[in-house]
Formats: sequence, structure tokens, C-alpha cells
Amino acid sequence: MKWSGYNNLEELSEVDDAGLDTLKRRIGLAGFVVICFLVLIVSRLWFLQVHRGAEYKGRADNNRVRVSEVAAPRGNILDIKGREMVTNRPSFNVVLVREDSNDVDTLIKKLATALELDISVLWDKLREADGKPRHIPIRLLEDVDWQTLAYVENHNQEFPGIRIEAIPSRVYHYQDVAAHAIGYLGEISKKELAARDPEIYSGGDLIGKMGLERLHEQDLRGEKGSSSSEVNARGFEQQLLKNIEPLPGNDIQLTLDAELQKVAEDLMAAGDKAGAVVAMEVKTGRMLVMASNPVLPLSQFVGGISHKNWNALLDNEKHPLINKTVQAMYPPASTYKMMTAMAGLATGVITPETVFYCPGYYRFAGRRYHCWKRGGHGAVDLKRAISESCDVYFYQVGLKVGVDNLAKMAGKFGLGHRSGIDMEHEKGGLTPTKAWKEKKYGKKWQEGETLSIAIGQGFNLVTPLQICLMTATIANGGTRYKPQIIEKVSDPDGHVLSQFEPIIGNQMGGEKVFLKKIQQAMEEVIHGRRGTARKVRIKGLTIAGKTGTAQVVRLKQYRHLKEEDIPYKYRDHAWFTCYAPADDPEIAVTVLVEHGLHGGSGAGPVARAMLEVYFAERIEAYAEEEKNKKK
Amino acid sequence: MLRVDRRYFHNFDWGLLILILAVCAMALANLYSASYPPSTYGMPPYMKQCYLFLLGGMGILFILCFDYKALLFWNYPFYCLIIALLVYVLVAGNSAGGAQRWINLGLFKLQPSELAKLILVVTLASYYSRKEDESGYGIREMVTPVLLTGLPFLLILKQPDLGTALMLGIIFVSMTVFAKVRWQTYALGGILGSCAGVFAWFYLLKDYQKQRIETLLDPGKDPMGQGYQILQSKIAVGSGGFTGKGYLKGTQGHLHFLPERHTDFAFSVWGEEMGFSGSVFFLTAYFAILVWGLYAAMTARDRFGVFLAFGVVMLIFWQAVINLLMILGFLPVVGIPLPLVSYGGSSLLTTLFALGILMNVRMRRFQTGQNLDMEKVKQ
Repeated sequence: MKWSGYNNLEELSEVDDAGLDTLKRRIGLAGFVVICFLVLIVSRLWFLQVHRGAEYKGRADNNRVRVSEVAAPRGNILDIKGREMVTNRPSFNVVLVREDSNDVDTLIKKLATALELDISVLWDKLREADGKPRHIPIRLLEDVDWQTLAYVENHNQEFPGIRIEAIPSRVYHYQDVAAHAIGYLGEISKKELAARDPEIYSGGDLIGKMGLERLHEQDLRGEKGSSSSEVNARGFEQQLLKNIEPLPGNDIQLTLDAELQKVAEDLMAAGDKAGAVVAMEVKTGRMLVMASNPVLPLSQFVGGISHKNWNALLDNEKHPLINKTVQAMYPPASTYKMMTAMAGLATGVITPETVFYCPGYYRFAGRRYHCWKRGGHGAVDLKRAISESCDVYFYQVGLKVGVDNLAKMAGKFGLGHRSGIDMEHEKGGLTPTKAWKEKKYGKKWQEGETLSIAIGQGFNLVTPLQICLMTATIANGGTRYKPQIIEKVSDPDGHVLSQFEPIIGNQMGGEKVFLKKIQQAMEEVIHGRRGTARKVRIKGLTIAGKTGTAQVVRLKQYRHLKEEDIPYKYRDHAWFTCYAPADDPEIAVTVLVEHGLHGGSGAGPVARAMLEVYFAERIEAYAEEEKNKKK
Repeated sequence: MLRVDRRYFHNFDWGLLILILAVCAMALANLYSASYPPSTYGMPPYMKQCYLFLLGGMGILFILCFDYKALLFWNYPFYCLIIALLVYVLVAGNSAGGAQRWINLGLFKLQPSELAKLILVVTLASYYSRKEDESGYGIREMVTPVLLTGLPFLLILKQPDLGTALMLGIIFVSMTVFAKVRWQTYALGGILGSCAGVFAWFYLLKDYQKQRIETLLDPGKDPMGQGYQILQSKIAVGSGGFTGKGYLKGTQGHLHFLPERHTDFAFSVWGEEMGFSGSVFFLTAYFAILVWGLYAAMTARDRFGVFLAFGVVMLIFWQAVINLLMILGFLPVVGIPLPLVSYGGSSLLTTLFALGILMNVRMRRFQTGQNLDMEKVKQ
């Protein structure tokens, strides 16, 4: 190898040593700079790794660990025979976690195309979630079918941020039966969320909105589980770190008999009737039926009711949203007469043998108060007064007893007071007193008003439950049980947490001896020759009961019309309340048909059908016996 | 042909070699973790890096065979070659991310801009060693080195690769200050420099480059972009704590939260898995090479050797400092690798060649002008 000018270069590198030494001295300075930077870097490392190491460790874990809630299956709701009324099934929702998607717009478009969805619906869901934290899943589609489920699961790599969420969803085995009592679930509202423990509830949770689902939310909800998994930067799960299984809610067994309840609701629905059917075990206070018609369409509430459906419910003239067993009040009408009679007997103003004459009207303070039977009943004693429902008899009893004593006795039967049943917005009803009117209207009580009160009209208001309670109290000989609808609460392992116990609300004193007479009179209503509810008779079963027809308005222009021609909302309400068997009562049944015209015809058949179902074995056995006798 | 003098073995700095080998071994182990789990296709980065280490080792051997003085002659041909390559990549190079930087060589993609750093060191060392001025350089003497630096600087800026271009500037400033200039030169340089900076901000810098600088000044402004990278890096390093999460057990890196984890942010992986203690251990070894290098400059036989060794140390030092300060959240993301540690063929080979030159200077520290092997070469 020959390098031209090599020697020349050689000389160049041999410049004098003095210059070289000063140059080399400067290297020391450079070394100092290098060490300074090392110190700077090491101190920065100390600051990041040691001083704030714990904080950054937490942030690293936040990055990689995703904790997702696992909803707990709600407790089941059973009927008194252990039949499942409401249970759970898994339902699958398609959810979007915005945090995990880098381009939500494109993602939504792609998803809408892939699943052939209306994209505006998805946009709406996104808009609703505006302002929520980005890691909270947004439900785009609820309760999807298995094709959608399979598609999304198989293509999850194409839809970053889209996930499938499995949550328990309610199944109503008896459809809308006992809908008002059971109630429904809905997504927790912002207001509800603010009022609750954030440890327990979070956005998107389902919460009881009505009925038992709401009242017993705490029992039913269970405890959420959680699953912590490690995710990578793109949000894909790498491994499961920790899994806490959710704890299912407690099961609630109702005192309601689903089959009997269904019979009641179906009968009412079949006749297109609005109203309430209440049945109670007379010796315990167990509510067997708490039916309110029209029923609530529970299925419409699953996953949130639409505006249109909600308005339809609001506008319905039969008021399906109201639980008519406890939330609606009606004049008790003639069903009140047992109470008036009892007040008369207890205060001693009448005896069972006392007779009043009914010419078809009663003249008081210059006015004629009519009996429903314009021709009059003639001489009437207690038994006939009740069985034929003579108004004139009770006008006079009421006058003698006085309005305050009537109210006092009404209280003993549970009228005019909330029963304390485990249902929402229970109304107390109204049994007026002189003091009440003074306070409410600032006017003195008019004696003429007592006449209306005595026959259950006027200011009087009761709920169907209260009439049933009164009937049961008469039937069992004077003990007023607190009506209850919970038979048993048990945890998921089957341990009983609480068990039904009869609770006595009031026990009558010496006056209860008179109940025998009332009972006999009520038996006469059905089994008597001239009873007002002879149609309710069932072979093989003795029934005691009372009809009632509650005036809605007292409008002269409708008086002369045929009943069918009166506008629906002005027609009278029909009551029928009864208990059976008359000799050893088991259940009391009260039926109210709104604008059902006459108790005996409008409400009686419903009660009769229910008794037929409840006492089916007994009736069959009787029929068998009869057959054998004929042979 | 070439016969190797036994004295070279005697004078060879085995301690420096062991230090370099130790750092390289740690860097390879870290790269294995950074690209763990290995992807199913292609050669994993650590394997490629292994081959490149071998290639670089052979390069070092080759460099050691010649007296570094040969570079006094070869620097201009090399300089011309690198300018040609830089022009070539601008015209026909492979582009990635909007920048034209590479020439594909199969095993790795040659980035002439990386090599340009080393060539610049050699060129400036050659220039300053030839021109000596005890009172410091005046403005007239500075024209040539400014032009020598300016040409590759502008070509690299055009790619655009702001980080590497700035590296050239930093190398130039380090070596020039080291060579000593007059205060008038500093003043003029300062004025021209700031004018160029202002001009560049408004006319030359691309938006993404400005954004990087803005992000540094206000990291909260852009949490998902540049700021996100720096934040994830700080989380990675910080979460390592004192003892680290353990080798292959870092979560930030393996779950992809850490961006560029086997290239620019490779040291974050080390910091996360090895913690403060491991990081200090590594940095001590790393900076020991630099200090040793400065010692090599101090003991060099001649002015060229001093400048060469000093320039090589500065080349590695500034890249390391900028990279580490970026990883630790002190500087914007500028795309400067950590020499020897970051994955990348051009950077690794350049660094190994530079270390080869350093060892060469160190090895030939006792020789005088009557160079024995050169005489043998002439024979």
C-alpha cells in the first residue's frame, strides 16, 4: 500500500508538546462535566424510583389491571307453594369501553354495518353517556340474540373497545301476575346513585324501581363480584389476576299464591274489568292474592320502558300504574254495613232483635233518604238488614250510634288506617269524625251526613285491602291481623333469615260476641232466600259475604238512564267481600270492580271463581259424596 | 502484509474492553426482555443485534490493525463518501414515518446519518489537529469546520431527522470549544446560533417537531401523544422502585404501554426490571467507559489522538445523556438512541467503530512518529 503524502501527515501529527499539554488539561474539565451529568441522571433516577417509586408503581398497576364488576344474580321470588315467580337468566349486552378504542366514530360505523343496525340508535346511546368516565362500559345493545353474540365474540379483534357483558336478567315465569306487588327493575338514575353507597352501586346497575323489587332491594340485590385482569396497552386481556364471585341475593318467598292470583287477574281481564282482588288467610294475615287490574306489563319494563309505552300507561283510563289493592280509595258502600251494625250492637243502641220499619225511605231533617229498594223492606231486623242490605235500617242505627262511635268501631276493623302491609304508597282511607270535619272544612258536622256514613257513602273512603281485612276480622271472631306478603327470606344457601309470624294488630274485647250475629247475617247474604249475592253460592261450600254498590257521582241526569248507557267513569263501583267456609273460615276474598255497577253481579262471580279454585278439593269431594248418595 | 507488533498486546487496554463487553452483555439481555415474548415471525431483535455485535467486533479488529493516524489521510474520502450517501438517501432512500433515512442492506438498514456522526468526529479531529492556535481560533479559521459540519447537518435536517442533525451540532460545539476559540468567535457564534434558531422555528421545523418541544414545556397539553410516551416511560422507570420488578417481569414494557421499548426507550425497560440499584450499576459501568475514554484522550500520543478520543467520547456521551434525560422526562422525544443499548444496526456499528478508534488511540499511546508498523507497511 502506498499512501501519497504520508510523510507530510506524519509531521503534522508531531506538533509541539506544549500545546498538547494544555489541550490535555482541558480534558479534566470535560471529565467533570461527564460526572456532573451522571450525578444528575442518578439523582433523577432516585427521585423517580425511590422517592416516588410507590406512586409510579400504583400508576403502572392502574395501567395494566382492569377491574370489572360482575353483577350479582338477584334473589328469586317464589310464591307460597314454592313456585318460582321471578328468577334470573343470563342476558348478553354489547358494550363499548371508550377508553379502549382509539377511534370511536369509525368503530361505531363498522359495528353498525356488521350487525346491520340503525346507527342513530348507537349514537343516541353514546350521547346519553356523555360526561361519564371513559372506562365505564356503555350498553349499546341489550339482551342480544346468540347470532349477534357469536359474531361479536368471534370478531373481537376487529372491534377494539367492544365487549360482551353477561348480566343476569329477570325472568317472569308468571308473566305479569302480581306485577304491582313484585314491581320491576330499571337502570339506576343519577339521583338514586347520588343517594346510595358508591361502594355498592355504580352507574348502569339495575335497581328495584317499584314494588318488592324496590322495597326489598337490600335483600334481593346480593353482592357484586369483581374480576381483575391484566390488559395490554390496546385493552386486550392477557390474564385473569383475581376473581371474586358475586354473591346472589336472598330469595324471597311470598305469601301470595301465584295460581290463585293468576285466576283473579285472568277473570278480571277476561271481563275487561278494572279493580282489585284481595284474598287473605283469615287466621294468620297472610295475603294470598293482591291483584290489581289492569296489570302492569312487566315485560315492557325490562331494559327500560319506552316513552310511548309509558305515556300509554299514564293515559289509560283504567289506570294500570295504580296498585288498586292499597293505593286506590273507594266508598265502602254497603260492605260498611257490618261495621255500622257492629257499632250499634257494641254501643248497645240496638240488639240483634231490634226491628226498624223500612218504607223505602227515611225522613230526616225534612229530607227523604232513600233505601236502594224504592218499595221498601218492611219490618227489618239485623239479619234481614244485612242480607237484604236495607239502607233505612242503617240510617237509623247510624244516627243512634253517632259518627264518632262509627269511626271508633271502624278503626277496630282496620278501616281508615294504613294496615302497614309491605307495599308502597298505601293509602289510609278515611273514616270521618266530627273533629275531622271541623278541622278539614271548619264546619260543624251535619247529622244528615251521618246517614250517608252509616251506609258507607259520603266522606267514607277505604282500600280494597281494608275491606278484606274487615271481612277477615269478622270471620275470625274479632282479631285483626296485620296483612303480610312475605312468607320467608332465605339466603342463597337456603338458610332462613326471616320467617312469617302472624302479627295481631287489634283484638276485640267483649263486643266480639256480637260478631256471631253479623256472621250469620252475612251467610244469609249468599244462602238466604232473598240474599243479595245468591249467585255466588257454591255447592259444598258455605260462604258468608256482603255486596256493595258505591256511588261515584250523584248526578240526576244519569238516574233515568239504563245502566249500560251511563258513561263508564260515572258508573257505580261494585264491591263483593266474603269469607269461606262460613262455619270454620279460612280465607276472606274481597273484589272491587271499578264502575262495575252491582256488587252481586259485577264483583261476585270473580270471588266465586276464586273460591272454587281455592276449595276445589273440598267441592269435588262434596260432589262425589252427592253422587254416591244419589246412587 | 500486515504484521502485528507484540507491544500492541502489551499496550492493549484489556480493562476498557472488559467494560465494553460487560455493557454490551447487559444491553443484549435488556434487548431480549424488551422484545419478549419473541414474535412468531422474523428474526427477533436481540438475535439481529447479536450478529451486529459480531460484525462490529470484526470491524473493531480491522480498525485496530491500522494506526489511527491513517485517518488523517482517509478522513476526506470518508467525508465525501458519507455526503454522497446522505444525498443518496434523500433521493432514493427508504422512507419510514415520512422521513427518508435508510438504505436497506438486508441484515439491517443502513442509516448514513448515524455514520455521519462518527465521520464528523474524525473530520473535525483531523482539522483541529492540523490547525493549531494557542490563542484560540478566530472567526476566519472557523469557516471550514462550520462548513464541514453544516453540509451533513442540512442534509440530515432535510430527511428530516432533527435529533441526529442536532447531534452533529453538539459534536461540533463540543470539539470546537475543546479546541479553544476566541471570545469574539463565541459572541458571533452565539448571535448567529440564536438567529438560526429563531429562523428555524418559524421556517424550518415541521409541526410535529415543534409539538415535541412544546410538549416538553407543557406535558399536560398532549397527554396521548408525545407526553404519553414520556409519561409511560416515567411510569415504567419509577415503578421499578429500588430493586426492580425482576428480569422479564416488567409490565409497562411487556404489555406495550411503553412505546419504542426496544429502540429509544430501551433503558426504561432496564429501569423497570432492575430498579434503582440495577440502573446505577449499569450507568456506572457505562459512564466508566466514557471516563476511561477521556483518560485515553489524556494519554494519547499526539494531538490527533487527543481529538479523536475526545470526539468519540463526546459522541457517545451526548447521545447517552440526551436519551437518558428524555427517558427520565427532562427532554422531548427527539429520537436519539442510547448507544450500545438501543436496537438499531447503524447506531450500534457506528458506536462500536467509534470504540474501536478509541481503543486504537489507547493502544498506540506510547508510539512516536517513527511508526514501526507503518514502516513495515511501506516495505
